[in-house]
Amino acid sequence: MHKWFSTETRTQRTPSAARAGLRIAALGAFLLAGLCAPMSANAAPAGCAALQAKYPSLKGKQLVNAINPHTPGYEAIDPKDPNKYVGFDIDLGEQIGECLGFTLTYKAVTFAALLTTLSSGQADIVISDIYATEERAKAADFITYSKVFDGVLVAKGNPKKITGINTSMCGAAAAENTGFVEVPLVQAMIAPCKAEGKPEPTLQLYDNNANCIQAILAGRADTYVNDVNTVDQAVKANPDKLEKAIAVTIPYSVGIAVPKNKPEFRDAVMAALIEVQKAGIHKELLKKWELDPNNFKEPDILSVK
Amino acid sequence: MSLFVHYLSLPYLIEGIWFTVMVTALGLAGGLIVGLVLAAMQLSRFWMLAVFARGYTVIFRGTPLILQMVFAYDALPQIGLKLSAVGAAGLALAANEAPFIAEMLRAGVLGVDRGQVLAGQALGMTPALLMRRIIAPQAIRTMIPAFGNETVSALKNSSLASVISVQELTLRSTQLASSTFDFFSIFFASGLIYLVLTTAVSVIQLFVERALDLDRATPQGRLAIFLPWRRVDLSTKLRLAEQAPTAPAEAPPDLSVPPPRAASRVDRAKHAAMVARNNVAVEVTDLRKKYDAQTVLDGLDLTVRVGEVVALMGPSGSGKSTLLRCINHLENWDSGMVRVGGRRLGHRDDGRPLSPREIANERASVGVGMVFQQFNLFSHLTARENVAGPLRWVHGMTRVDADRRARELLERVGLGHRADALPRHLSGGQQQRVAIARALAPNPSVLLLDEPTSALDPELVNEVLEVIRRLAIDDGLTMIISTHQIRFADDVADRVAFLSGGSILEEGPAHEVLTNPRHPVTARFLSLMEADKAPERTA
Repeated sequence: MHKWFSTETRTQRTPSAARAGLRIAALGAFLLAGLCAPMSANAAPAGCAALQAKYPSLKGKQLVNAINPHTPGYEAIDPKDPNKYVGFDIDLGEQIGECLGFTLTYKAVTFAALLTTLSSGQADIVISDIYATEERAKAADFITYSKVFDGVLVAKGNPKKITGINTSMCGAAAAENTGFVEVPLVQAMIAPCKAEGKPEPTLQLYDNNANCIQAILAGRADTYVNDVNTVDQAVKANPDKLEKAIAVTIPYSVGIAVPKNKPEFRDAVMAALIEVQKAGIHKELLKKWELDPNNFKEPDILSVK
Repeated sequence: MSLFVHYLSLPYLIEGIWFTVMVTALGLAGGLIVGLVLAAMQLSRFWMLAVFARGYTVIFRGTPLILQMVFAYDALPQIGLKLSAVGAAGLALAANEAPFIAEMLRAGVLGVDRGQVLAGQALGMTPALLMRRIIAPQAIRTMIPAFGNETVSALKNSSLASVISVQELTLRSTQLASSTFDFFSIFFASGLIYLVLTTAVSVIQLFVERALDLDRATPQGRLAIFLPWRRVDLSTKLRLAEQAPTAPAEAPPDLSVPPPRAASRVDRAKHAAMVARNNVAVEVTDLRKKYDAQTVLDGLDLTVRVGEVVALMGPSGSGKSTLLRCINHLENWDSGMVRVGGRRLGHRDDGRPLSPREIANERASVGVGMVFQQFNLFSHLTARENVAGPLRWVHGMTRVDADRRARELLERVGLGHRADALPRHLSGGQQQRVAIARALAPNPSVLLLDEPTSALDPELVNEVLEVIRRLAIDDGLTMIISTHQIRFADDVADRVAFLSGGSILEEGPAHEVLTNPRHPVTARFLSLMEADKAPERTA
């Protein structure tokens, strides 16, 4: 299987062949991921046949999933085979696809471009650890599937003694990705800091997790607040330079984004997610990717006018 | 280090190069096409096109490429134009490169010596032919370094396509860094890959420059790099070129010898009397022309008969050059009439002005040759090609016939042995003789010479004058020569016309006007000139 895949990718020489090759590569990645994942060897959950009958237009389709593949554990390229994407979100998306009978290819964009890529029609779905907020729901409908626990990443020893998104951040520099929900939360601390007569916290905006983590390693930023799993992964990679100060809860859920003008597709994805959860696959995936089982959440739809 | 090597050879990154090169190629190819259109619009005679091209340039040169990429990727689908990521990146890069490439093209075209364009026009070349044969070959050579720069910059700019999900080198590097945390090894590796790519561009650029180097184009040219004048100053260069170490001594034996005076005054008078009965070759009637407020030609009349040699004399700015250019229709005039060989130049039957193309065709069919003060040889062509090229392109001669004609003419001006030399390797006198051969090639009915020796070093003047003298005396060619060489005019011309302020002040048999001017202005001018070059008053 792996051998076949490599041969295919080596033949990318012309533009159309390159694109076709990429498609084959993505397909190969999908198949490979399917083989590797222990539970996906099982047949799709029982209710899926009914869903495929109810939503026949999705069957056999190939949809585009826009991701920001800089979050190991959720979505990142496989260090062992960089031609494929791996992580919890990737597996979950493919389980939903399997249930409804469609396959996924991936489009890697910056975090801030996830929803614009979706609304411009360049992607069909976004499953990329994106928090469903009222603000974002103006651009897309969300099917929420996970609770959010944030970790506060700091340099080893926590020199600024940061204890969360509170006045301990006064005067500190926070690295965040453009468009992250943590950005307004940090900005909201400006007023309290002023009130206490302390310097304001400053923000450095980057494009991906790796840049934020590098900002702390390089001493440019003091903290990076993001999903606790991302923070744990960063600490695991640089145990002598980084540490997690604390985990905080954030009042959001993680959601799958779909276009606002396709309510039928949204309902289909939601129904499939329920089937996947019912079959216990969601929790198995959390365990497989060493994520906190407390993340598990039954799906809801977030849609605003 | 081992990690660095690992990433350097990682197929995932190597494949990213493909997308990088793809986007760059699309951007450059598209940019070149749009740039050509933009440059043509800016250089066009129609100002509306130029304004439009300017507007495009302002917008696409003035906004960041990253915004253009996002626009092409995310905004164009809103109007139903959904391109692939590579397509959108290529489109944005092309749109962004186009104004820069257009400016390069424009600079290249404008950088070609105006005199060569004028010479091409005088030979009856249409604007399209001029562009293809004269301007483009020279412009392209000068633009290669700029193109190299632009290619490198486009290659680097292609990394911005990472924001719209093109799987090129930069995007793949950042993704890889995100999942492996080997930040530095990965970016050093991809940096080195970029360096290899840009170095390859530089190598190609140098190779192309070398291939287009005129001094290497022919076997002689290749040898030329060993010749000393490539590194010597101008005067030595001229002297060396004159000595022509690659060839036997100068062919025309009598050039340096002071020419014999025209057989006798009696013969001259006979000649003048004979041509007076000939048909009219050139007829200029009440010609008027103004540059803004300044009058250049003020109701000028001139008739030249077949076989006659007329010398135009007069101070600078008296209208001599303008008159010659009007006779060749290189310039338009405000009123009056110019007839050559009985044919009236200038307007279509319906009275509207001719297009540049129609004027070129008119020039080619009427048959007026022109020799310029600054020679204006096509500097990218050998002496032979300067003569033979226009014969093929304008007059449809076969290569064999054109080459034969060129060889004959170069022999006639004593330069048969320098046929393969480039103009820059010829002395001024030699260049002017090639220019005369070029003007004679299509068998013109009239030859116009605009101060043909004024730009020459004194010791090179005679070789050119001698060629002209023989054309007049041996061939009986009709010629109008503007000159300051009083003695030469006295020797060769049947008639002298003295111009001042855009009209003819005095004209008559050459010897008479030059020795006994009637008009005080003529007398004063001649006495100033005579200070160093007095004509012999007795034969």
